Amino acid sequence: MKSLAISFVSCCLVLLGASAAAQAPSGAFDASYSPPRLPSGKPDLQGLWSNALVTPLERPADLADKEFLTEDEAREYQAKRVAAVNRDARPDDAAADILLAYNDFWWDSGTSAVRTLRTSLIVDPPNGRIPELTEAAKRRVAATPPPSADGPETQGLSTRCIYYATAGPPMLPGSYNNNYQLVQTDDYVLIVNEMVHETRIVPLDGRPFPAAEIRQWRGSSRGHWEGDTLVIETRNRRADTPFRGSSENMQLIERFTRVADDVLLYEFTVNDPDAFTQPWTAQITSQRVEDELMYEYACHEGNKSMSGILGGARAAERKAAEAAK
Amino acid sequence: MTPPALPRCGLALAALLSLAACAPATPPAAPTGAAAIARTPDGKPDLNGIWQALVPANWDIRPHEARPPPRAMLGAFQAEPPNPGIVEGGEIPYLPAALEQQKQHYAKRFELDPERKCFMPGVPRATYLPQPFQIFQSAEHVMIAYQFANAVREIHMTDPGPAPTSFWMGWSVGRWEGDTLVVEVTNQKPETWLDRAGNFHSEALRVEERYTVMSPNHLLYEATLEDPKVFSRPWKISFPLYRRLETNAELLEFKCVPFAEEILYGHLRKGYVGERAEEAP
Repeated sequence: MKSLAISFVSCCLVLLGASAAAQAPSGAFDASYSPPRLPSGKPDLQGLWSNALVTPLERPADLADKEFLTEDEAREYQAKRVAAVNRDARPDDAAADILLAYNDFWWDSGTSAVRTLRTSLIVDPPNGRIPELTEAAKRRVAATPPPSADGPETQGLSTRCIYYATAGPPMLPGSYNNNYQLVQTDDYVLIVNEMVHETRIVPLDGRPFPAAEIRQWRGSSRGHWEGDTLVIETRNRRADTPFRGSSENMQLIERFTRVADDVLLYEFTVNDPDAFTQPWTAQITSQRVEDELMYEYACHEGNKSMSGILGGARAAERKAAEAAK
Repeated sequence: MTPPALPRCGLALAALLSLAACAPATPPAAPTGAAAIARTPDGKPDLNGIWQALVPANWDIRPHEARPPPRAMLGAFQAEPPNPGIVEGGEIPYLPAALEQQKQHYAKRFELDPERKCFMPGVPRATYLPQPFQIFQSAEHVMIAYQFANAVREIHMTDPGPAPTSFWMGWSVGRWEGDTLVVEVTNQKPETWLDRAGNFHSEALRVEERYTVMSPNHLLYEATLEDPKVFSRPWKISFPLYRRLETNAELLEFKCVPFAEEILYGHLRKGYVGERAEEAP
């Protein structure tokens, strides 16, 4: 039975690869485009790219029957989203204003829709939504306690500057620090995310994954070329860095294809039968960033939030204790 | 291929341990000839690889004998190995006030060292932390990724202009001088230290690093430190870097934030009753 199960998984993977390729937007990009190349002959994907997009991961309910926007609709949608997330639009109520925290200067949510003009980043399943979780995953998610201010380890991973879901993998558009830098050598690809200076080193030399006992917050990645597409597989994630309900057995496939001088098509497929009732695939168009440099985001070194959150909770407890006397 | 010249160090296995002692007194080992150096397609020496210092300089870059651990119960686990030193001449030329500050650091070194807090280590300390780092060198880019704290820096090979602010890993501008990669590092944070012994610098620190191929599996690392607020003159460190040759060598995650949270935030834990370890930064 075990070998049957394994071959079933690999069979699905092959199909997935095929279906992802079939879903590459044919109309959105010039099919005759040929990317610049390195001395090795491989496409040159190096440089700074941005995932700042207004398109959501999942298709909004009000667009349930609409897979694509027209150019006009995209412009309208972009304007609507930009206005909706504008942090300079402050509420009159002081408490609400404080909760809103930083003003718009500190945010960088992006202003444009994905180049494919899809209404969601998810392209498969066709409804643009994350597939339903398995029963086991639902139980797992339900059993996960919400963040609390009891101690540092019960705070969220991003508050602790340990892991940001937008740096991934998989990478996703976020409300700031959307840039990533890609460097290629013959044997490695290096991906540095602006978010928490995450550094992913991807060997291309065909070496095996680390021992299954080695679990990492961001997993472990191995890459290879399929034609002009860089394919990266990631496994060995820790159980406590779930992605949208994923399990520690998540296998992630990322595909990077330069489809224009200024666009890196970034696709990822989440394959995790322990968590999702079917695999799912998303497609992002990373935008070239010219004439800019990425700066160090020293999240942990400058983290005042943790002391503020924990210290505030202790102060509130002391106040409550005194009031009860 | 002839082995690289290691003047005055001999070839005995035991001499490996004394390499560091030789290095400060030894001029850069000349590469074994242009043909011996692996080169990238553009003709530059190929520095790609996973490298690590063996010299235990992270405890103290100055010459020192073995020392006891920070807490007696750690026994030999965390006792300091002896180090012949990586400082040329053995002495760091502190200005008088800076020397006093260094002594104060030393007295409270186990509480104050930013390494303990999992802060990015700065340059040159990142190079001799007891963890590997990896150089990525393509035609246009040189990046160095360090296993410790996931620190990373780009060596800007075309002038990026003045640094817009300061950085924990500094602002690095590189150039080739013959077959040596020379990197000027400025705009570092004054909070980083040079070792666990409290040797330090200010925000005025300028580091000139030099990476030279010694052999297929060794680089010579040299760094000159200049900081008129702390030192009376520029001074230099040097030591070899060793290629990690394990077939499964790779940088793994050393996300040390969770390891440092107790000392940073433990006193703010619900129901905390223990001794207050230290002030959060």
